[in-house]
Amino acid sequence: MTTQTATQKNPSFVLQAKDKVSYEDRPVPDLKSPYDVLIQPKWTGICGSDVHYWLHGRIGHFVVESPMVLGHESAGIVAAVGDKVTSVQVGDRVAMEPGVPCRRCVRCKEGKYNLCFDMAFAATPPIDGTLARYYTLPEDFCYKLPEGMSLEEGALIEPTAVAVHITRQAAVKPGDSVVVFGAGPVGLLCCAVAKAYGAVKVVTVDINEERLQFALKYAATHSFTSQRVSAEENAANMKKECDLGHGADIIIDATGAEPCIQTAIHALRNGGTYVQGGMGKPDITFPIMAMCTSELNVKGSFRYGSGDYQTAVDLVATERISVKELITGKVKFEDAESAFKDVKEGKGIKCLIAGPEE
Amino acid sequence: MSSSTRIENMQNPSLLLYGPKSAKYEDRPIPELGNHDVLVRIAYVGVCGSDVHFWNEGGFTKKVSTSSPITMGHETSGTIHSIGPLVSTVKPGDRVAVEPGVPCRYCKPCKAGSYHFCKDMRFAAAPPDGHGALTKFFRSAEDFVYKIPEKVGLDEAVLVEPLAVGVHATRLVDVRPGEKVVVMGSGTVGLMCAAVSKVFGAESVVIVDILEKKLEFARGWFGCETFKAEMGSSAEENSESLLEKFGLEDDGVDVVIEASGAASSIETGIHLLRRGGKYVQTGLGKPKIEFPIVALSEKELMVRGCFRYGPGDFELATSLIARGIIDAKALISSTRPFEEAVSAWEATGRGEGIKNLIKGVED
Repeated sequence: MTTQTATQKNPSFVLQAKDKVSYEDRPVPDLKSPYDVLIQPKWTGICGSDVHYWLHGRIGHFVVESPMVLGHESAGIVAAVGDKVTSVQVGDRVAMEPGVPCRRCVRCKEGKYNLCFDMAFAATPPIDGTLARYYTLPEDFCYKLPEGMSLEEGALIEPTAVAVHITRQAAVKPGDSVVVFGAGPVGLLCCAVAKAYGAVKVVTVDINEERLQFALKYAATHSFTSQRVSAEENAANMKKECDLGHGADIIIDATGAEPCIQTAIHALRNGGTYVQGGMGKPDITFPIMAMCTSELNVKGSFRYGSGDYQTAVDLVATERISVKELITGKVKFEDAESAFKDVKEGKGIKCLIAGPEE
Repeated sequence: MSSSTRIENMQNPSLLLYGPKSAKYEDRPIPELGNHDVLVRIAYVGVCGSDVHFWNEGGFTKKVSTSSPITMGHETSGTIHSIGPLVSTVKPGDRVAVEPGVPCRYCKPCKAGSYHFCKDMRFAAAPPDGHGALTKFFRSAEDFVYKIPEKVGLDEAVLVEPLAVGVHATRLVDVRPGEKVVVMGSGTVGLMCAAVSKVFGAESVVIVDILEKKLEFARGWFGCETFKAEMGSSAEENSESLLEKFGLEDDGVDVVIEASGAASSIETGIHLLRRGGKYVQTGLGKPKIEFPIVALSEKELMVRGCFRYGPGDFELATSLIARGIIDAKALISSTRPFEEAVSAWEATGRGEGIKNLIKGVED
């Protein structure tokens, strides 16, 4: 397998169908526009959504109907640039923003390109992902990594941008108390970004003690172990233990789990803000009366939009947040499947897959 | 070159400005279309105060020159003549209002929802290279032309552009239902701002001008209240007088939209506002003026600038005219043939009419 990928032009890690992955030599992509850039992804992280496609072959109405290259959390080195590219050059190390919008629809023009109707997102069918030797992106979706930032850290920019977008949706401001449900990579990064945005209290919530301990060392000021009691009771306990008074100003859910969402609604103060970042069951039982009587501001959050990726790079570059600690494993391109297995089993925080060797 | 060529023998006759009082009809190449572009056969072009300024001075900060003349005209409508290969939402024959500036779509402001700040914006009739709509064939993009229903004339569709300015200003200053609004200046843009404020639910709208005939028109056109400012009085006197007339001496109004650019009017506007009030500067006049800045501080006013129009403004403007909520026809004072464009600019410069139109090249 090792020698095979080394001699191939564009070895790619492909999801053939649910539960079946393999390596293919795909054609090297062309630069379709003079503003495009050809990149060699060097490190790619895996996220729950990648694992979900692997296990189920679909997420909602996105169905894997033909073999698709996986991966979307990447950083790499620029290999070639189109004629009109001015912001990067060959050899530059870049974080790769993997979703390219149409730039013409009403959402794009109003500044919400993450909601573009024709978004082409890596590893969301039918668009191929970044676990290959080569990938193309327009130059404005490549973000140069400053000198001190490694390509591995560059691969963490994608989930960091997710956390930046969630935190912006929540409008975290200096002085706020923020609770984050879920101490996985996105939850951890939300804690870190909320702190960077001036939250004075950041509570991490999980059912896993080890993750909570890590979160406390990493960015949270308080932790809470969620219990199998009613949502109201869980919320009351959390407010008491973490000194949240009448409730938190802001709660972010990074789990998608029904009991967490229910607890969160009961743990907010009146007029507080709730942001749904995590994805789980499509339909849940929701405490809508509490939302109404507390006059909560409830919002969704989807991927990242204008300015989020650059902010993520800046936060890491200026050391206001750190992502190195989140990297708990690195595997060779040929061992990509094992990384998927680890994530499925909940091992570690972020495992990175190397790009194919030359 | 083509001074001897007659307009009827030109493929794409266009009116270019070379400097103050220096304009020439020339044959320009018919623009080539990109994948998402459309070619519009221009039907009408409106005259704006800025056109008059260009005719007299050659431009604002950026001026035209003999080495880089530009085609004039930015308020325009027409029919789709041809479309690029990937265009799917309009077809040849469609009648459209045209948004005259297509942004690059790649830069930061474009992606952040402020394409009107685009660093590479190609805006009609903007030096050094933005060619305008006083031409036979004008290139735009699929998503920058707006279809109008049969019942709306192509001449009326020219008013979509100034109405979009009015929509943009009113959105920026965030007129809310129940608010009291004053609009300074009863020219086309002032009228549009007043009408849009009403549409946005303002409890009352007062238009201010120094000319009675303009105020008379405003009253008839959109049923606004009016106030005649006295040239000889100070800003404080004028504002006090207005507030008294409408029983608002206790505090002041919620919103002022300044659509004249005149220094005295700006000053008056600031004095009209209540504490915590909102102000938007739409009108363009002297680049530097004397401003009541202490009043701004003490009343904790929100004051902002306003530039052209952004995402969603042209759509709403088209919709307001299409649904007959804004009477565009009433603003059209004259229509001159393509060959008499300069005379349309000069008439506007003399203060004649509200909106003077220039017809597109005839077949």
